[in-house]
Amino acid sequence: MAYEEVKVKEPIRFKLLSIMSLLAFFGIWEFIVDAGIVPRTMLAAPSQVVVLFIKKLTQANPDGATLGAHAWMSAKEAVTAYVLAIIVGVPLGLFMGWFKVVRGIFRPIFEMIRPIPPIAWIPLCIFWFGIGIWGKVYIIWIAGIVPFTINSWVGVNMTDPALIQMARTYGATDWQIFTKLCVPSALPMIFGALQISLAYCWTNLVGAELLAADKGLGFLIEMGRRLAMPEMVVLGMVCVGIGGALIGVVVDKLEKRLLAGIRR
Amino acid sequence: MERSVANEVVKHVKEKKPWTVGRVLTNEYFLYVVSFFTFLIVWHYIAAAGLLGLATPEATLKEMVRLMSVRLAGKNLFGHAWASSRRIIIGFAIGAAAGLPLGLLMGLNKYINSIVKPVFDLFKPMPPIAWISISILWFGIGEPSKIFIIVIGSFVPCVLNAYSGIRIIDPELYDVIRVLGGNRRQEIFYVSFPAALPALFAGVQISMSVAWTCVLAAELVSSRSGLGWIIIRGMKLTKPELVLGGMAAIAVVAWLFSVAASGLEKVLCPWKRGIKEL
Amino acid sequence: MNPKIECRNISKVFIQKGKQRVHVLEDISLEVMHNEFLVILGPGQSGKTTLLRIIAGLETPTSGQVLVDGKEVTGPGQDRGLVFQSYMLFFWRTVMGNVEIGLKLRGVDKKKRREIAQHYINLVGLQGFEKHYPHQLSGGMKQRVGIARAYANNPEIMLLDEPFGQLDAQTRMFMEKETERIWQTEKKTVIFVTNNIDEAIYLGDRIVTLKDKLPGRMDAIYDVPLPRPREHTDLEFVKLRQEITDRSELVL
Ligand SMILES: Nc1ncnc2c1ncn2[C@@H]1O[C@H](COP(=O)(O)OP(=O)(O)O)[C@@H](O)[C@H]1O
Ligand SMILES: [Mg+2]
Repeated sequence: MAYEEVKVKEPIRFKLLSIMSLLAFFGIWEFIVDAGIVPRTMLAAPSQVVVLFIKKLTQANPDGATLGAHAWMSAKEAVTAYVLAIIVGVPLGLFMGWFKVVRGIFRPIFEMIRPIPPIAWIPLCIFWFGIGIWGKVYIIWIAGIVPFTINSWVGVNMTDPALIQMARTYGATDWQIFTKLCVPSALPMIFGALQISLAYCWTNLVGAELLAADKGLGFLIEMGRRLAMPEMVVLGMVCVGIGGALIGVVVDKLEKRLLAGIRR
Repeated sequence: MERSVANEVVKHVKEKKPWTVGRVLTNEYFLYVVSFFTFLIVWHYIAAAGLLGLATPEATLKEMVRLMSVRLAGKNLFGHAWASSRRIIIGFAIGAAAGLPLGLLMGLNKYINSIVKPVFDLFKPMPPIAWISISILWFGIGEPSKIFIIVIGSFVPCVLNAYSGIRIIDPELYDVIRVLGGNRRQEIFYVSFPAALPALFAGVQISMSVAWTCVLAAELVSSRSGLGWIIIRGMKLTKPELVLGGMAAIAVVAWLFSVAASGLEKVLCPWKRGIKEL
Repeated sequence: MNPKIECRNISKVFIQKGKQRVHVLEDISLEVMHNEFLVILGPGQSGKTTLLRIIAGLETPTSGQVLVDGKEVTGPGQDRGLVFQSYMLFFWRTVMGNVEIGLKLRGVDKKKRREIAQHYINLVGLQGFEKHYPHQLSGGMKQRVGIARAYANNPEIMLLDEPFGQLDAQTRMFMEKETERIWQTEKKTVIFVTNNIDEAIYLGDRIVTLKDKLPGRMDAIYDVPLPRPREHTDLEFVKLRQEITDRSELVL
């Protein structure tokens, strides 16, 4: 028999080091605040953050909404904008990759808008939409659309030219080649954009909420600063981090599932 | 065109087609020009009709030209562009100087990796913009708080890319050094570093765009100079041409930064020059 | 005369993914004489690469030992040069940079280094390509760089791992002629691994065949007494080819 199962001892010391490192991190953080090495107006100890977290689960004050309401608002904005970015960005990129005319029309506009950081649209957004949800959705959408467009476009361009040539000799039309060859071969690249785009969306969401919002995790952070409550700032940051990580895990699973789907 | 593939020379001969009206109309570059001007014209009419609160492209351009000589809060347009750029350059330099070596060390040494990685992973999913508020609590509203955000913003992608740059190296490349009689130190200097360089640059490029987002956000929240400040100023004075002019200036400067970064990459990674890229 | 290289009862077991035990080589014993051109012929997965890496000192055998000049091998050394199956060129270095790397590691000064490297670049027929980067070269040219890189380090033993496995038939035949020419100019002890019978008979003084896989075992040893340069259509050539094929049922 060629393969035979064996048990090899995993080097446990690396795991131990990791756990110790995390414990040390939180320990030192708690200590420097409790001992007053860092003033309480600048940083909150982990314990204070936990206390505030429990409180904010039910209480709306002092910032006007419970933690759940803030998180729900952020999630709503992020998901709406993300889905809109897929709906618009993917077809745009695919068409730009394959049809010269579409590329000719949209590329200059795309290239002009691309270097503008999405955050820079905030003043215009406030003017157009006020500080409601749609202004933020617009900014996040602008952020999220770029990776989808570029990856779809690159994906189409990476289609094996030999296959295209072969399809042509069999008399396939441009449209058939596009739908039967280019789109499937661009799929891995498009799935690759799911993560990139998401991270970018999440960053800009926080930026948008920081500047123009009355609800949301970014707003919570900014309120913490205005009210001089570092524990609220840290709580907001932690929530943003956890939210980002959570959505990241979901999208990662989705990407793996989708990729496995096309391999079959 | 001539190309050599495995001792064979492949020749491509392009067929010359006559220029017909249809071909001109569907020519990509012709369409670029048409698209560009259509964009400007549509923008012009929307603005002229007083819709969307926009300024016309001419008014925007005129405002930008005016700002080149007229001082706003003590600085002309170049002064503000420099104020933003300076924050990025300083913040980025600190972030990269700390992040790249740390990422390389994490990639090269298991012990360092298992100590640093868990703590780093705590901070990784947190967008750098989320640090703005606490940075103001720590450093006030002056320069240091803005630079701090950019340090954070460029630190994370630098670490990540340096780390994965080392991790994706084919281990057989190290074997080359070993059979030639090299030691571990030489493996690192002659394989790890150069092979990770393209990934480092990818990190630098991501850092750049993150840095621009960060600096703008910081300037929008609180500042007295910089391109972000110009935009906010335009909003407060309800001068749309100032807002749009500021956005255009940001686009130009951010684009120049990315051109500079890829130029530097071409100089430092000469082997990538011949490879066609999109 | 003592053999240059001696493999004594080598076996190798890998542990994959931290839990699977894979038996790759079983009881391999062979001897290679000074300046001999030994070919190891075997199907894929028979552990050829692993055997070569053990001789190079990149892997340690699970049991058995390798002796070079009567001394046990404990690690890689400058006396053995390895040409990799998948080229393994440094894509960030030019042809010159790749060929001179071994000398650079040993601190040979630049002028001397360039001189030696240039000699081997010329020897493998790459003059004029010194400033090219690997991605600008064809497969055959890449492998020439790999060969020059190993030669420039002036090892006493050359280990070549299916160096032409990824080339088309024509380039491959051409490269075999070149290998013979280079070997005749710079006499070395050579172990050449291949899965191609014609290549084996064309090049080898002696052929060791491996059989089975996981683990691979020794099958037979053939002497190739044909004069060089050899002809693929030569009667003796064809006979030997038939003999090996019959025995090993190796399909070309
Ligand atoms: N470093 C390694 N770790 C685990 N398994 C290995 C390793 N190197 C080779 N193997 C296994 O050894 C087997 C034989 O490989 P190889 O020596 O490359 O054979 P060949 O060169 O004849 O094709 C393969 O099945 C491979 O999976
Ligand atoms: Mg092999």
